[in-house]
Amino acid sequence: MSADRAVLAAMVREEWRLHSRLFGGRRFAAFPVFVALVGGLTAWALGTAGTGTATVVAGAHVLVALFGLQTGTVGLVGRDAMRGLLGETTLVVFSAHTLPLRQRRLLGLFLLKDVGYYAVLLLLPLAAAFAPLLPLARLPLLWLTLAWTFTLGLCATVAVVALATRDRPGKVVAALGAGAVVAAALAGLPVVAATPYALFVAPGFTSAVAAALPPLCLLCVAAFAYDPEHEPPARTADNAYRAWQRRVPAWDDPVFVKTMLDVSHSAGGYWKVLLSAGILVAVSAFLVSLAESVVGLGVLPGVAFGSVLGLTAFTTYNWLTQFDDPTTYATLPVDTAAVFDAKRRAFAVLGLPTGVAWYAVAALWQGATPLDFLAGLALCVGLQAYLFGLTVALAGLQPNEFLFDTVLFAAFTFGVAVPLVPVLVVGFVAAPLSTPLAGALVVAGLVLAGVGHVLYGRAVPRWRERARE
Amino acid sequence: MNAITTEGLRKSYGDLTALAGLTLDVPAGELFGLLGPNGAGKSTTIRILTGQLRPDAGTASVLGVDPVDDPVGVRERVGVLPEQESPPSFMTPREYFDFVGSVRDLDAETVDARVETWADRLGYGAKLDTMNTDLSRGQQQKVMITAAFLHDPDLVFIDEPLANLDPIVQETVKRVLRDYRDDGNTVFLSTHDIDVAADLCDRVGIVREGELVTTRRPAGLGEERLLDVFLREVGADTDALDDASGGAGAGVETGADEGSDAGEGSDADGATGHTEGTDAGPGPDTGAGR
Repeated sequence: MSADRAVLAAMVREEWRLHSRLFGGRRFAAFPVFVALVGGLTAWALGTAGTGTATVVAGAHVLVALFGLQTGTVGLVGRDAMRGLLGETTLVVFSAHTLPLRQRRLLGLFLLKDVGYYAVLLLLPLAAAFAPLLPLARLPLLWLTLAWTFTLGLCATVAVVALATRDRPGKVVAALGAGAVVAAALAGLPVVAATPYALFVAPGFTSAVAAALPPLCLLCVAAFAYDPEHEPPARTADNAYRAWQRRVPAWDDPVFVKTMLDVSHSAGGYWKVLLSAGILVAVSAFLVSLAESVVGLGVLPGVAFGSVLGLTAFTTYNWLTQFDDPTTYATLPVDTAAVFDAKRRAFAVLGLPTGVAWYAVAALWQGATPLDFLAGLALCVGLQAYLFGLTVALAGLQPNEFLFDTVLFAAFTFGVAVPLVPVLVVGFVAAPLSTPLAGALVVAGLVLAGVGHVLYGRAVPRWRERARE
Repeated sequence: MNAITTEGLRKSYGDLTALAGLTLDVPAGELFGLLGPNGAGKSTTIRILTGQLRPDAGTASVLGVDPVDDPVGVRERVGVLPEQESPPSFMTPREYFDFVGSVRDLDAETVDARVETWADRLGYGAKLDTMNTDLSRGQQQKVMITAAFLHDPDLVFIDEPLANLDPIVQETVKRVLRDYRDDGNTVFLSTHDIDVAADLCDRVGIVREGELVTTRRPAGLGEERLLDVFLREVGADTDALDDASGGAGAGVETGADEGSDAGEGSDADGATGHTEGTDAGPGPDTGAGR
């Protein structure tokens, strides 16, 4: 037991040091305050706009479940994934090879650490942010169910990762399990009743037991299925570099081709770019339907979707840089400015068309008028160009650092909100769209693109100098 | 003619001084080793000389190019093998070499021919289409060695060249470096492995706390061993080493070899004074001359 305590303490310390080192040192300590402030403002704004408290609480549980899924993935897929995200890193969870500790036990402690760490650092301030909407006496229960929801997401990922160590049979079982849940939901079975959210809605012994069972079952599956000696086979690939060169000789830019290969060879290939933009489409659709049905506003789908889908610039740029290490170029005759130019070219080839394609699908699906469509298109392209420039200006080639650096993230949030909020408001209140207003929105899109270009142009020389300090 | 010249290079990272006025010359055609304990400033020296870092003070010239003013120009001319660097995870070695070849304006036929030669020499031909992230550390090191030499440069900078390699490949790499030097090229090697430096280098410079304190020709040390010189110059606690080895002696003869280190006094000003006159080597150590 003392060994477990020592390992757990080391893991918690390690997690804190990892975050505080990666994401702004002591500024990371302000992260919970930032979460509470942003969460509180969001809850207040939604409440003021007429959104039901139950809807906001349900949305928070969904977001926390997704975060749990993602956290489990990063923690457990192994050293390569960690290296891709964090550089050369060795975590305590990987010490079974060098210490007399069982891998299964280490993973159990790792999960315990994650639940405790994020429950305090992220979920406690998130629960506190609901103070404007809920009676104070309900907040402890909300914290508990949010933490339990995070655990559910974490356990689901762990179970899938554990099953994946059994190769094809394990993956089939995982797919069948996920399919069964989806089928049950489609068949109208009360799937939500077996989640922590149901416990929050109707506290009681039955709902508590129902909420407790899924994570415990998933943990049992993980413990049973996990094969600590599993080694995935080495992956091979035909030479795609020359295929790219042949495909478009005019793009014979080595860093550009490398960037495209990084995206296509990493897990999910080009589909992950499409999928991450698709999630934004779903969020946009949710917002539009919320505005129409709950708040009673007549929405301009073109302007609304075009504005929100401008945010795809950040996720795409993240994919274009996540698998790259700037030190790769430090030993080659490649100027830092050329690396940024290649990223911009890759963004133009991969990011802009993805955002525009999703925009076209969503706007046409929602019945945008030609004028609305045109204005939304200009905003979609303009906001993407602006956000690309803003991201480069704030984070250079490592946009990942945004996520937990409180100051950077606040600056980014502000930089996004300044152009996005006004155009979103227009999209929600200005129907039907007049020709002069449509023209103004098109001009706004062009201006945003210009600002993005200026931000990019000023940022590159600065990052170029900083790379050699 | 010198391939590398530095004068009073200084570099600090916050409160930490990595280089405190490093001055050195490496003549063309020499296999030069920079030897020092961890944190002595070896990697920082390479990073400055290859234009990756800007020094706080001092000057440098590499093949006649100033790495501060023209970092890309320097890297066009030289090859660099950094310590602990891996090839890009989501490329195969073959794709990585095509990438490096494109950056260096090599045509595809040249890249293919050189890759085949190096893969045969280092014994990883079967792994050319395996994703780099799935290669062992040793195989990744072989890929990085090939990338450093792909454009047949006149000068290579190598940081700990034999790390992660098995003994057979270590010998192969040593032979490759000697052949490369024999063809008239220059090797600047950084290591903390004294045996590697003694076995491989024409001349060795010892750095301590960011300064070059002496240079030696291993072949001309006579009875004295490079280890002895190194321990003395870096100020190691040789008594402790003796104790740790049970009194059998790590070969540290602190008193006996003082006479041969005639240059000690002049080292105080940096390495400029530590020239052929102070080296105990048999031939004139022209490389160190300033």
